[in-house]
Amino acid sequence: MKNNVTIVISCAGMGTRLGLGCTKALVEVEGKTLIERQLEILKDYEDIRVVVGYQAEKVIGVVNSVRKDVLFVFNHDYRNTGTGASFYLGAKHGREYAVALDGDLLVHPDDLIRVIEYDGSCVGGTTPSTDNPWTMPTQLIRGVEHVTGFSKEYGDYEWTGLAKVRTDQLQPGTRHVFHLIEPMLPLPMVYIRTKEIDTIDDYERAVKWVRNGYED
Amino acid sequence: MNNRLFLFDLDATITKVEILPALADQVGMAEQIAELTEKTMRGELPFQSSFLMRVEMLKSIPVSKVSEIVARTPLNEKLVSFIAEHKERCYIVTGNLDVWIEELVKKIGLPMTHCYCSAASVENDTLVRVNSVLDKALVVQQFVQPVVAVGDGSNDADMVQMAEVGIGFGGVRPIAYSLMSNATHAVYDEDRLCDFLRMLCE
Repeated sequence: MKNNVTIVISCAGMGTRLGLGCTKALVEVEGKTLIERQLEILKDYEDIRVVVGYQAEKVIGVVNSVRKDVLFVFNHDYRNTGTGASFYLGAKHGREYAVALDGDLLVHPDDLIRVIEYDGSCVGGTTPSTDNPWTMPTQLIRGVEHVTGFSKEYGDYEWTGLAKVRTDQLQPGTRHVFHLIEPMLPLPMVYIRTKEIDTIDDYERAVKWVRNGYED
Repeated sequence: MNNRLFLFDLDATITKVEILPALADQVGMAEQIAELTEKTMRGELPFQSSFLMRVEMLKSIPVSKVSEIVARTPLNEKLVSFIAEHKERCYIVTGNLDVWIEELVKKIGLPMTHCYCSAASVENDTLVRVNSVLDKALVVQQFVQPVVAVGDGSNDADMVQMAEVGIGFGGVRPIAYSLMSNATHAVYDEDRLCDFLRMLCE
């Protein structure tokens, strides 16, 4: 298990799209919130940082009930900034590599571990399934599929918010995480299985997926 | 290695319990002092007036006795080890009185030149007056090197806000809301706090 990694879970946003009164990381799927599920997968890693903003105290309470040794990072400007700002704040003063993980990402446990354990930097991609996604064009470099850009027009894979990058290459930013990653491209792509939860239908599909052992 | 300096609140940050309520047991005023302390830490009473009230309640205890009791306050030992390893870079910033905490500061391993605190005069082992009450924000302003500040109470909020890295430590008691709104980080586990402080040394 790699110990040169800081894992940054962004939970600062308001998650208004689902129409629930809480940040999306606190949405329950099969009796456990998304953030609790992530922390369970990450139980063997030391440097876990949760970036908080909207409903910070609520998120801190839930995280502390799972494990006490998490470092919380505040994004006080969460109303005006995106996950890029949260990731930068969380990765600052971190270990050699930083993993970006959205607190509302429901991801297959094995795939999350594969990204963290990847030898070097990488970007998580999946089959496009959401409305108007950011997609990633790719190119084979020495037999490995590499992400070459982020686009609204072309690309076979959907950006998932999950990536592992060198901490010393991160520059400050206020928009999406991928804006921070763009200058580092091309980077190898790791295919991950995930379920986005934006609507009630998505939510029901996600519940089934988890109930079925993360299989469709 | 960078030039960062580390500023620590004393009560419930370096110590495992609040110092004044522990003292209050001696004069049978534990409840009153604890209530005042709680209100102050939550920011419902201004630190200066609350502190002076609490000192007034406790000043009948001989200073040597107070100093002896205070020196026995249990400490967060891992944090004390961090301070011992980085003596030159660490400072205590506390509203507590010099004449009460000197022995405890020695036990933590720092000289009084690395302790910013309130000051009092003593005659015949009796505290006769408080001369100054420390303003933590003013202390931070004096430093010309980047500062990491660690605290838990409402009176640490300004110090934490002005620091390059401002950490709320909730390992002993809940972190005050005003501090949370001004901090860059919050941590509830002593080991994790020390790991992060070590990263900040690199």
